[in-house]
Amino acid sequence: MVNIQEDIAVTTPTEPQEIPAAKPFLANERIVIETQRLDFYYNPEAHALKNINIQIPDKKVTAFIGPSGCGKSTLLRCFNRMNDLIAGAYLTGKVLIDGEDVYDSKIRLEELRKNVGMVFQKSNPFPMTIRENVTFGPKVNGITGKDELEEIVVSSLKQADLWREVKDRLDASALDLSGGQQQRLCIARTLANKPEIILMDEPASALDPISTGKIEETINELKKDYTIVIVTHNMQQAARISDYTAFMMLGEMVEMDSTKRIFTNPTVKMTEDYITGRFG
Amino acid sequence: MSRRISYFKQKGDPYIFASGLGLVVALGMVTWIIAVILSRGLSFFWPGDLVQITTSGDETYLGELWAQEDAIQLDADGHKIPVKQTQLKIGNRDLYGMDFTWIRDKNITEQAYPENAVTFERLEYGNFYGFIEAVHSGDEQYGADHPELYTKARQAYRLAREKREQLRETQEAMTELSEPLTRLQREISLLEISPEGRTDEGLQQLEEMRRSAEQLEQEIADAYQALTEKYEKLYLEERGIYLTVRTAAGEEKELHLSEVVRFFRPNQMGVFAKSWHYAGKLWEFVADDPRESNTEGGVFPAIFGTVVMVLLMSIAVVPFGVMAAIYLNEYARQGPVTRLIRMSVNNLAGVPSIVFGVFGLGFFIYFVGGSIDQLFFSNKLPEPTFGTGGILWASLTLALLTLPVVVVATEEGLLAVPRANKEGALALGSTRWQMIRKVVLPNAMPGILTGLILAISRGAGEVAPLMITGVVKLAPTLALDTTFPFLHLDRKFMHLGFHIYDVGFQSPNVEAAKPMVYSTALLLIVIVVLLNIIAIYIRNNLRKKFKTSTF
Repeated sequence: MVNIQEDIAVTTPTEPQEIPAAKPFLANERIVIETQRLDFYYNPEAHALKNINIQIPDKKVTAFIGPSGCGKSTLLRCFNRMNDLIAGAYLTGKVLIDGEDVYDSKIRLEELRKNVGMVFQKSNPFPMTIRENVTFGPKVNGITGKDELEEIVVSSLKQADLWREVKDRLDASALDLSGGQQQRLCIARTLANKPEIILMDEPASALDPISTGKIEETINELKKDYTIVIVTHNMQQAARISDYTAFMMLGEMVEMDSTKRIFTNPTVKMTEDYITGRFG
Repeated sequence: MSRRISYFKQKGDPYIFASGLGLVVALGMVTWIIAVILSRGLSFFWPGDLVQITTSGDETYLGELWAQEDAIQLDADGHKIPVKQTQLKIGNRDLYGMDFTWIRDKNITEQAYPENAVTFERLEYGNFYGFIEAVHSGDEQYGADHPELYTKARQAYRLAREKREQLRETQEAMTELSEPLTRLQREISLLEISPEGRTDEGLQQLEEMRRSAEQLEQEIADAYQALTEKYEKLYLEERGIYLTVRTAAGEEKELHLSEVVRFFRPNQMGVFAKSWHYAGKLWEFVADDPRESNTEGGVFPAIFGTVVMVLLMSIAVVPFGVMAAIYLNEYARQGPVTRLIRMSVNNLAGVPSIVFGVFGLGFFIYFVGGSIDQLFFSNKLPEPTFGTGGILWASLTLALLTLPVVVVATEEGLLAVPRANKEGALALGSTRWQMIRKVVLPNAMPGILTGLILAISRGAGEVAPLMITGVVKLAPTLALDTTFPFLHLDRKFMHLGFHIYDVGFQSPNVEAAKPMVYSTALLLIVIVVLLNIIAIYIRNNLRKKFKTSTF
């Protein structure tokens, strides 16, 4: 039984803990997302994230890497509160976006998710036309002007590098597109909401190399205007497209640094072992 | 050896065989019942040849061959010996008192198919089998020696039908003319028995009403008189058109042609003529009103009642069931309470339908209908309007009965919506309701329609709850007609399922009505199948539209 619940229990720890200072390598960046002592539990026995303190810079691509089940996706889903959908899950600590706690009761969930878009591992276009898929977000968020919607369709599809391929069949079913095209449509659909942040949960893991290449190109284009957080299993991909990389292990943030440094000279031995393929 | 046995067990051949056998038995039974219904139901309209049988007892019978069987007879020593006997439909119920007779085959001395034997289908007393002796049409008369007696009979028949039609029109005109007076008189008599009628004010009002009634009576008196005279004249003319007919036994009888539905000489008809006749009878069956306490004529009111009731039921049950399923599945917190609700809904499907009928009677008719009468139709009381069985209450009772089916099917449809699609909608900033409306509901539509199909199948075949919530043996008016407000939800209605029960088991002449039962059953099956095909067609179109993403 799939159950989706809106409410999630947030408890703040009683004893004050020291929040680590900003990392030196991020000194010149504007921080958009920040977590403070974030602990996440799927249920009291499943402690999925342990004391995560992470800072994610503006208009950069940040990659989360780590073995399966290390909590990358869980962390990503804390940023747009998609974890709220899991019955019985709860968290402690804070998730700040632009300095505001997203788990504050004053935050409107729909507003947050419009601002923090998400692209899923498996492309999930709606069984509607391509045009309807792109306009879904703007429409549910109250945009009704025909011209405005049309403009959003064109610009979003162009940004997602899909316009050339589908401009003649906007009213065809989105399900008739190829896997790669479907995933780029999902990106376009997210862009249509004009978000500030885009979360990508292994967006290319189910695609062939050519489609993956296109997605990566798209991400490279997008980082000029958006803050992108991407979860990936593919370390080459992380190396190719990200500016910063965070390595996670068993629910803990092991190390975060510039991608170059992580892949050439990591501080922690475990990171090096993982990157060189000694485990994972 | 043991290896071979164990391989045999592994393959599970006996179990596969048993499951196949189960399917064969089930299919066989379905095929058998459909074949029986088809053959009996469809052969009913075929005009049978008339056979004239003379027995050794010097009795002569004319009729249609109906059945043949072996009867058991005891001989002198008490041994059972089989005797062949033939069942003959001899009709002429007004003369013989019964429609059928059994004749021992060994007693038959002569068997013939007389060319000029005629079958008369009458409005009353069933069929008449015999020979035309004379035609009387007003002043004209033709005897048995006239060369074209049958043609003359047909002419007279047409004339009689015309007169009958004119009579009906005249009668309608008379009713229409006196309608305001009748209504006024009804109001007077209602006021007389009510407490207000005994107050001074009421008495004064009564006096006024009586005066206006008298005035009205005088106003229409002349026109009414004229119509009455016209009616009487037409009636006499109509009675003047009749045939003298003779039975096989030689008995003569006057047969008024206005009472004859149709007549024909089956022994002279070729296959083509018989097919034409068959088509006409089939059309009469689906398009006409029933006659002879439903054992003859058509079943149109029952078809109409069944279809309207099923439609009303669908309109009531689908939104209700879908909303319940959505709340249960998408909003309610899953836990012991939702489990309990789900279990109760499933168990509701197992409650005997008559219990739903009793509930419908108590709640819908007595409570809701009674309250509506008190509030809106108090001027008609004590005569109930909605406080008695009617098509609305029957439909709502059946909606209640089929609700579990719709809820369960819709829930399954909702569960089949990919979680990825739901998450995708929420991640784009839609509210839960927007997600349900735009993503979940369109995707779940095939499931909802499956529920509707199951509900239609169940609802259309249900009889027991209808019997106490508004179905009747004969409804004079349809639930939908051309008089305002067009849809009369308070009216009683006829239903094919109840028709089967009524004709087959409650009719005074069960033997003659038996083929009608098969035909009605066939029709009910055809209607349910048709309604289902429509729903399945819509569902398949939707499925094509929402085929899940291929990856």
